[in-house]
Amino acid sequence: MEESKKNYDLTPLVAPNLDRHLVFPILEFLQEHQLYPEEQILKFKIELLSKTNMVDYAMDIHKSLYHSEDAPQDMVERRAEVVARLKSLEEAAAPLVSFLLNPSAVQELRADKQYNLQMLKERYQIGPDQIEALYQYAKFQFECGNYSGAADYLYQYRTLCSNLERSLSALWGKLASEILMQNWDIALEELNRLKEIIDSKSFASPLNQVQNRIWLMHWGLYIFFNHDNGRTQIIDLFNQDKYLNAIQTSAPHLLRYLATAFIVNKRRRPQLKEFIKVIQQEHYSYKDPIIEFLACVFVNYDFDGAQKKMKECEEVIVNDPFLGKRVEDGNFSTVPLRDEFLENARLFIFETYCKIHQRIDMGVLAEKLNLNYEEAERWIVNLIRTSKLDAKIDSESGTVIMEPTQPNVHEQLINHTKGLSGRTYKLVNQLLEHTQAQATR
Amino acid sequence: MSRFFTQGGSDSEDESDIEDEVPEVQDNGGVDSRYLQSGSESDDDVDTKRVVKPAKDKRFEEMTNTVDQMKNAMRINDWCTLQDCFDKINKQLEKVMRITEAVKAPTLYIKSLVMLEDFLNEALANKEAKKKMSTSNSKALNSMKQKLKKNNKLYEDDINKYRESPEVEDEKEPDEDEDTEDDETDPDSEDDPNDDPGSEGEIEEPTDNLTWEKMLSRKDRLMEKLINKDPKEITWDWVNKKFKEIVAARGKKGTARFELVDQLTHLTKIAKTPAQKLEILFSVISAQFDVNPGLSGHMPINVWKKCVLNMLTILDILVKYNNIVVDDTIEPDENETSKPADFDGKIRVWGNLVAFLERIDTEFFKSLQCIDPHTREYVERLRDEPMFLALAQNIQDYFERMGDLKAAAKVALRRVESIYYKPQEVYDAMRKLAELVEEEEETEEESGPTISFIVVPEVVPRKPTFPESSRAMMDVLVSLIYRNGDERTKARAMLCDINHHALMDNFVTARDLLLMSHLQDNVQHMDISTQILFNRTMAQLGLCAFRVGMITESHSCLSELYSGQRVRELLAQGVSQSRYHEKTPEQERMERRRQMPYHMHINLELLEAVHLICAMLLEVPNMAANSHDAKRRVISKNFRRLLEISERQAFTAPPENVRDHVMAATRALTKGDFQKAFEVLNSLDVWRLLKKRDSILDMVKDRIKEEALRTYLFTYSSSYESLSLDQLAKMFDVPEAQVHSIVSKMMINEELHASWDQPTQCIVFHEVQHSRLQSLAFQLTEKLSILAESNERAMESRTGGGGLDLTSRRRDNNQDYAGAASGGGGYWQDKANYGQGRQGNRSGYGGGRQNGQWSGQNRGGYAGRVGSGNRGMQMDGSSRMVSLNRGLRA
Repeated sequence: MEESKKNYDLTPLVAPNLDRHLVFPILEFLQEHQLYPEEQILKFKIELLSKTNMVDYAMDIHKSLYHSEDAPQDMVERRAEVVARLKSLEEAAAPLVSFLLNPSAVQELRADKQYNLQMLKERYQIGPDQIEALYQYAKFQFECGNYSGAADYLYQYRTLCSNLERSLSALWGKLASEILMQNWDIALEELNRLKEIIDSKSFASPLNQVQNRIWLMHWGLYIFFNHDNGRTQIIDLFNQDKYLNAIQTSAPHLLRYLATAFIVNKRRRPQLKEFIKVIQQEHYSYKDPIIEFLACVFVNYDFDGAQKKMKECEEVIVNDPFLGKRVEDGNFSTVPLRDEFLENARLFIFETYCKIHQRIDMGVLAEKLNLNYEEAERWIVNLIRTSKLDAKIDSESGTVIMEPTQPNVHEQLINHTKGLSGRTYKLVNQLLEHTQAQATR
Repeated sequence: MSRFFTQGGSDSEDESDIEDEVPEVQDNGGVDSRYLQSGSESDDDVDTKRVVKPAKDKRFEEMTNTVDQMKNAMRINDWCTLQDCFDKINKQLEKVMRITEAVKAPTLYIKSLVMLEDFLNEALANKEAKKKMSTSNSKALNSMKQKLKKNNKLYEDDINKYRESPEVEDEKEPDEDEDTEDDETDPDSEDDPNDDPGSEGEIEEPTDNLTWEKMLSRKDRLMEKLINKDPKEITWDWVNKKFKEIVAARGKKGTARFELVDQLTHLTKIAKTPAQKLEILFSVISAQFDVNPGLSGHMPINVWKKCVLNMLTILDILVKYNNIVVDDTIEPDENETSKPADFDGKIRVWGNLVAFLERIDTEFFKSLQCIDPHTREYVERLRDEPMFLALAQNIQDYFERMGDLKAAAKVALRRVESIYYKPQEVYDAMRKLAELVEEEEETEEESGPTISFIVVPEVVPRKPTFPESSRAMMDVLVSLIYRNGDERTKARAMLCDINHHALMDNFVTARDLLLMSHLQDNVQHMDISTQILFNRTMAQLGLCAFRVGMITESHSCLSELYSGQRVRELLAQGVSQSRYHEKTPEQERMERRRQMPYHMHINLELLEAVHLICAMLLEVPNMAANSHDAKRRVISKNFRRLLEISERQAFTAPPENVRDHVMAATRALTKGDFQKAFEVLNSLDVWRLLKKRDSILDMVKDRIKEEALRTYLFTYSSSYESLSLDQLAKMFDVPEAQVHSIVSKMMINEELHASWDQPTQCIVFHEVQHSRLQSLAFQLTEKLSILAESNERAMESRTGGGGLDLTSRRRDNNQDYAGAASGGGGYWQDKANYGQGRQGNRSGYGGGRQNGQWSGQNRGGYAGRVGSGNRGMQMDGSSRMVSLNRGLRA
């Protein structure tokens, strides 16, 4: 069981596409779930931190890892270095920072970027050098773990910056900061802004563009599974052709999240069919219980298989850093997404099963749904009552009988002819337009 | 020898004479005979069977008579008769060659050529006599001079050989004195191609001097001077001067190409500086390329080999003296090559290694095209490939060291192209061969001591190194090309890569590469050879898809190849005849030049079998499902047509070819008799060509069962109220779970109006009976929508919006007619057709992804799919028209 858990752990695939700081929450999660030995995770953490400026934190971890009181020499040295650099950057950015801290001065800024730059230069002697320093300072703050400061500075920087490249990386920085501060609403805004830039900007190379999209999707995972509306958003984003292509070419593991979102989300049902096709194409390159579940239900109609997969899916969801978020409710914790997933998956199976059957034994049905007989009956009765299901229960023989869903001939005829008048109307309009155009010519 | 005497004894004198000559050549052939052997062997064959073929004797007799006639004409100095006889003998030669099926002209003919040439030279030299000649006679003499020169070029090798070693026992000939003159000189000297060319030149020279004295005296004197020069007197300047002189003679009339090569080769021996040696070597190679004029023939094989060795020597020099740079952009200064080896700074020498290498490869390719693939010669020729690969590898290494990655990529492409079509087994065989060849060559090289001023040690390895698996090699080369190649190189490399992946059964990788590279979109803008490569790749991909059991994919890869009757042409594996127009000779020649050598061929029978089986598996249930449908949805037009033809036959004979087999299987499958269908297919011959034959046949069997089940349900569902699962499973020998899955799929896709009754495990059919009024109403609505559609189309054609669509549709229907009408159009039409095939391919394949053809499951979606499929066809048509227009402009 341990093995399979590790098999489905996507951290090694996901991490390379994230910022160092963003990997921390994942590592925390893994530590909590004890998928890997604690020591290993701590070592990873130190390694991660070694490239950032969060030296104090790294020292703490080092202490707890080796149970020693003194930090290694290089860390101490690095700390001094970091502090020194912080000082120098602070000085460089000081004029602009002080300007920005002055509310009355900030009010003088207008929407016009050129004007602002001009004004800053003339009245406060703040030139491009200082603005550049602000960027460096913000970046340094981010590296130190001061995300809120970094986010503020980066926001200001973006209003002043004229370099597109820089502006883009500032945006990435802002997004990371917001994610780490868990400001999901703002983060979502930033994400959409970034998406616009990536899609619109004529990137240096298509390859670069694809890479940026992949990053965006990975970073978005934090937002989508925490934001209220995230599950619709994730489908809207991932399911676009460009993004889907990017997933198929370089990051098929993201399909897991998209599949989960599809199962959980009822509103995007129409797109599901398309997605099933994608799954069929990709099942050679990537295997995942959640995807296999969909394949079982919608491709092979193998309901026993689907039922088995459902259990695996549960495992996967609980152990996934993005999906398995816990909610402490009183004194026991639940994973809301898991419950939702199971409920919907059950519904999927049941729906499809009912579609092709006219009479089903309740016992078998209960088994297929991972419920006991009583529960199953209640569940079905509920469905019938909410008129989601056109069926009757025959309690004597213990079966569910579907109402025949033969399309009415009358309906069919109407369907066939429905479009005709619209088409003809359009045709006439075209004709009129055409003749008018000819007449004016 | 005596064998021939005893056999030929009963024949006339002349006859036996000819018979003698055949083995004679074989004896004197020396080392070279490896290549001639096959020719003389076939002669041998004919000889032993001669009794059965009296026609051959007759031809020879005719020829001998003509030769006698010529001799008479010579005696009286009658050039007019001589000219007639010459024409006659050429015609007879053709016949003789055809009958004996020999690759080499008979010695009798060669002898007469030599005789004529000598006589001609004599006559030309004798100015006095020439003046006395009548006008008609001297005119004939002049035209004879031209003709003979042209004609003799073809048989240059044979003539030279003959001059070296005419048969001794031949006593009847009047021109004997000249021959014996030759005999006196040493006959054993020449014709060892691997012998050191320098020493060869020295010994051979006097020989030539005597015979060729009059015609080539200037050249010979030059040569003589070269050889007799005291080594001490040779200076750089002197060599340079001679070199310039010889090079200047290149391409001029009357310059013997072989001579030129020999002279230059000798010069390389006496070159004073490495740079000079290099320069001269480049000229040698150019001269060697010139040996064979014209585009159709190929370079003689021994020359090719020498050429490769020269290239290796060049590399030796370049590697050893790394201050020498080869460049073809800058015109170097006159005395650049005088700089000694230890000159510091760069020495620039003009030359282009890539171009040379490419030419060598092309010549290799051409020789394989020309040689009959069923002979030993072909196999022998194939064995030379490692030699080429070694050279290419060395050149590529050299370029990589020099940092010229663009050139390296080009060379890498050549290597890729000689590997990509080889399955792992063939690759392994080649690897082993390469090691063997090396040993042989080493012993050979020891025998020839070289005398040369600049001795270059063999720095560059003469043996190619191959990684364990061909895939590894491909990966290395291909990634180099992707990084550094230009567009065409990259596209070709990509195609080779895809082809190789397909060969290795990595269908998914190959497919993704193809789709990601967007090659289908722009391949019609590429040159024809790349387009052919693309077609071949698609064919290979289709075979691969079949092997891994992906029937729909396989069909969409192959169907376009078979949409016309031009598979051979599209794959460049033979010429397909068109009913409607004759090709111009020019077109035919072009096509012949594009042909693939035999060892690269994709087995057409296998390809056809795969295509038809795929079509059958898809089309049979489709036909059953839509048997009563007014609008028939056709998946494979080609298959439908074949089926119609076979159904029209009054009697069905037992299947003979691939097509018959598949048709027989189709008939069985339509009735749901999967066993018989499989048996018929199993008896096909082509399966032995597959590596994993059993597993593939199992796959085919499973698919047949599945489709038989579906066909059965489509056809007979109306006769049942209900059907039990286990009965179906038993009937088609399919596990119940699978039956359940298949039937469920059909239900969901609304192909089958039925549902499961879970407690009893039955399928319950819901027969929908329409009343007369209802069905009439349906018909009415259908007609209404057709009306609306045609209105729209009429409107579109008027307003211009979709005008192209309509015309292109018309074109589609009348395509054959249009093809016939523009038959005389010449080359562009051919080109456009190429575009067309490709175009179709694209729509079949690229469209596949969008329309969900890949899914292979969603069979119910046909309605929607066909709609978009039509659209694809229309677009297809319009772009085809564009390509036609482009052809016109071009």
